[in-house]
Amino acid sequence: MKVPISVTVNERQHELLIDPRLTLVYLLRENLGLTGAHVGCATGNCGACAVRLDGRTVKSCSILAADVSGSSITTIEGLSSSARDLHPIQQAFVENQGLQCGFCTPGMVLSTLQLLEQNPDPTEDEVRHAISGNLCRCTGYQFVVQSILAAAEKVRAGAPA
Amino acid sequence: MLSTDFQFFAPTALDEALALLHEHQDGGKVLSGGMSMMPAINLGVLRPTAIVSLNHVPGLDGLEDAGDHLRIGGLVRHHVVQSDPLVRAHAPLLAQAASVIADVQVRHRGTIGGSVAHADPSADYLPVLVALDATVELASASGTRDVRAREFFVDVMMTALALDEIVVGLRVPKVPAEGGSAYVRLARVEGSFAIACAAAVAVGDRVSLGVGGAVPTPVHLDVTCDGSEASLDAAAEAAFQACEDAYGDLNGSAEYRRAMARVYARRAIQQALAARG
Repeated sequence: MKVPISVTVNERQHELLIDPRLTLVYLLRENLGLTGAHVGCATGNCGACAVRLDGRTVKSCSILAADVSGSSITTIEGLSSSARDLHPIQQAFVENQGLQCGFCTPGMVLSTLQLLEQNPDPTEDEVRHAISGNLCRCTGYQFVVQSILAAAEKVRAGAPA
Repeated sequence: MLSTDFQFFAPTALDEALALLHEHQDGGKVLSGGMSMMPAINLGVLRPTAIVSLNHVPGLDGLEDAGDHLRIGGLVRHHVVQSDPLVRAHAPLLAQAASVIADVQVRHRGTIGGSVAHADPSADYLPVLVALDATVELASASGTRDVRAREFFVDVMMTALALDEIVVGLRVPKVPAEGGSAYVRLARVEGSFAIACAAAVAVGDRVSLGVGGAVPTPVHLDVTCDGSEASLDAAAEAAFQACEDAYGDLNGSAEYRRAMARVYARRAIQQALAARG
């Protein structure tokens, strides 16, 4: 039995008829072709599937797509229109080698956005707390943390968050 | 796509939700934040035949000052409990507990009613609610009833809830202005489930203590403690004795958890006494 949903994804409105067994991350990846949110653990631990739901980061592997009807979702694709037009947080990750394989990066970037909206001048400790729900299996987090601190500087210097 | 096939309902009124739950109580599940339930469904260890979402039911996410207590709706999410000025002013230990649940993203979605109904032995709210002597408000198609938090938790992930009942809210007594409170926990890394956790509410030298993590259901004790080393040791020993049902799992043996319950109970009491107004 399919259910109708109405969602806004990256400012585009979608009216869809979906299987209720779809989790949000698969709706985005398979129905809408937005493959930036990744499926890592499917148990709410790794944060690779992070997206913004009504302005707050959530783990889209652990939310039913049918349950977010009426909501507004922003994925990593919503942050920039092309590689030539990166969001300052993405730019900071590029400049500081904040990604290796890149699997965790969309979640890291969205967690950074969440952090900087609430706290534009975080300490290193606050940065580490803010990404405690995003697991990276490559970099040992050092360059990720540096990237986030650099992103905070960009945002404080006037780049739009 | 999940392998489990279920009917999905997103009712927009409480009566409708309760009627659906009553109809589907055999195999149906209530969904609020889903931060424990959805991983279990993803893993295939939980296979509900129907899911009734509370996320579109109005009136379940209120948080009000009700005189001598706070009234917190079941659908209030952890990040709200963590940051709400009323909670921070009148039940700071509840805000503390909310602030260490999992991570930012989970706190954005998970709900206090869901956590209470799920009753994971390591859930951070549980020792706080028994220390404060909170009341759990339940509703089903046949009516409402109240159960004290101290009687609500029956065993590991088992509560007083009937199959067709939901947690609609909590009544959380305020910490008196002259009192102090604290919540402390031991976990392997930030965001991990607590190996042992403790909540304390101190008024004068009387301390209401809740201990969780180490035991299947939160333990409550009333102790008298003047803050001296001897009185703290005695209170911690009482907490240790009360945790005789300590259990072991991947995160720690029963012996270790029980020993840590003693340590964290002592810390919670010490901090609550120091926080007195």
